[in-house]
Amino acid sequence: MKKDLISMEDLTVDEIKDYLKLAHSVEKLPADERFRLLQGKIMAAMFFEPSTRTRLSFESAMHRLGGGVIGFAEQSATSVSKGESFTDTIHTVENYCDIMVIRHPGEGTARLAARVSSIPVINAGDGSNQHPTQTLLDIFTIEKDLGKISGIKVAFVGDLKYSRTVHSLIRALMKFDVTEFILVAPESLRLPKYFMMTDEPNKYHFYETNHLEEAISKCDILYMTRIQRERFPDLLEYEKVKDSYLLTAAMLEEARPHLRVLHPLPRVNEIAYDVDKTKYAGYFPQARNGVIMREAILLKHLGVKI
Amino acid sequence: MSKRNEKVLMIPKIKLGIVIDHIPAGEGVKILEIISRYEEMQDVPVTLGLNYDSKKMGRKDLIKMQLEFLSPEIIQHISIVVPGVTIKAIKDYRVYSKVVVQAPKVIKNLLLCKNPNCVTNLESGIETLFHAVDEESNRVRCNFCERIFDRSELKPIIK
Ligand SMILES: [Zn+2]
Repeated sequence: MKKDLISMEDLTVDEIKDYLKLAHSVEKLPADERFRLLQGKIMAAMFFEPSTRTRLSFESAMHRLGGGVIGFAEQSATSVSKGESFTDTIHTVENYCDIMVIRHPGEGTARLAARVSSIPVINAGDGSNQHPTQTLLDIFTIEKDLGKISGIKVAFVGDLKYSRTVHSLIRALMKFDVTEFILVAPESLRLPKYFMMTDEPNKYHFYETNHLEEAISKCDILYMTRIQRERFPDLLEYEKVKDSYLLTAAMLEEARPHLRVLHPLPRVNEIAYDVDKTKYAGYFPQARNGVIMREAILLKHLGVKI
Repeated sequence: MSKRNEKVLMIPKIKLGIVIDHIPAGEGVKILEIISRYEEMQDVPVTLGLNYDSKKMGRKDLIKMQLEFLSPEIIQHISIVVPGVTIKAIKDYRVYSKVVVQAPKVIKNLLLCKNPNCVTNLESGIETLFHAVDEESNRVRCNFCERIFDRSELKPIIK
């Protein structure tokens, strides 16, 4: 039976651990061995909305495994712009490839594609719903950087109300027994309350604050996100908060020695460039881990063992 | 006078038909709306009773229809919009079968997703699917966009 990757909600902790294990094995493989694994296989990168980073990361992963890549980077390049239905596009493209990677602004689109397609479908982001490969690479990065996941303390900074990346990662970390979260966000962009509701209210602790400085010395992972201007009805309000969520190297003086600063990238003005040179900067290695995790995902879903 | 006879006074006896009982007061209109939207029900005589006294519920609504058989589709539809009602089939003035309908755990192609950005609303001809996230099926999750809604806030699909 074909296996799709649509939503983190579909995965058990053990299944997530399998992805992590596989990613570690992939990383250890010499490049020439890796390059033989998916020869003759074709991945279709179907990006109905642009997301250059995610697309390049997937394409790089497929190329490193020796596979071929076809696809498109935006909807205007497809027959959908000529009125073709989404399911017709899937039924057509599935004849051209062995696995489909789909990015689409409509929520649930990858689920629909998986249902109608006879080949594996990987969700590379469906609107504000899910982006499971991002979450998997984030967990992989945290595990690599800290050597463990359970029991760590994670601070999330920025737009916690709308960030799909943050929501998905928090839920996944909770499954891994991460119980302490520091949430740094302006009043209007706080994490929706229902994310904090669990069956075990005594187990999980969410500390909310407006001040970034407060979080830095207390956490093991500092996960930064963009604060988007469009989210603010009042631009004055945006101007007021944007600088208070700018991380600089000087602010990291009190940090725990093993702290890692992560960011899904691209950054706008949340992390000053002087942070890049500190030992805490983990966001560029995070992008590298993204390729490794996506290699693992392609292998797993194409049924290739290593 | 026995309790049974009191009931008879309130609800005129029918020889053959379907009675929907134990409808929470005020909800009868919702069921009427569902029924009236099905083609097969267009010529069926229907009576709606409002605000009857009920030992169990305080007040209740009641619907009486002159037809032999209510389609499973309509029953399921009612169960999703107003769960907990009793549907009785009457033959020769007697209740010969009775069922309390509860909202199902899996609701297939009966409710519309409220999320305008959900693929079920963006593409045509996609069957919707919801799964209950609590015991009573009061909250349901869309299988596609994964958003959770109160069941009562979702519009039924009328085919
Ligand atoms: Zn939906």
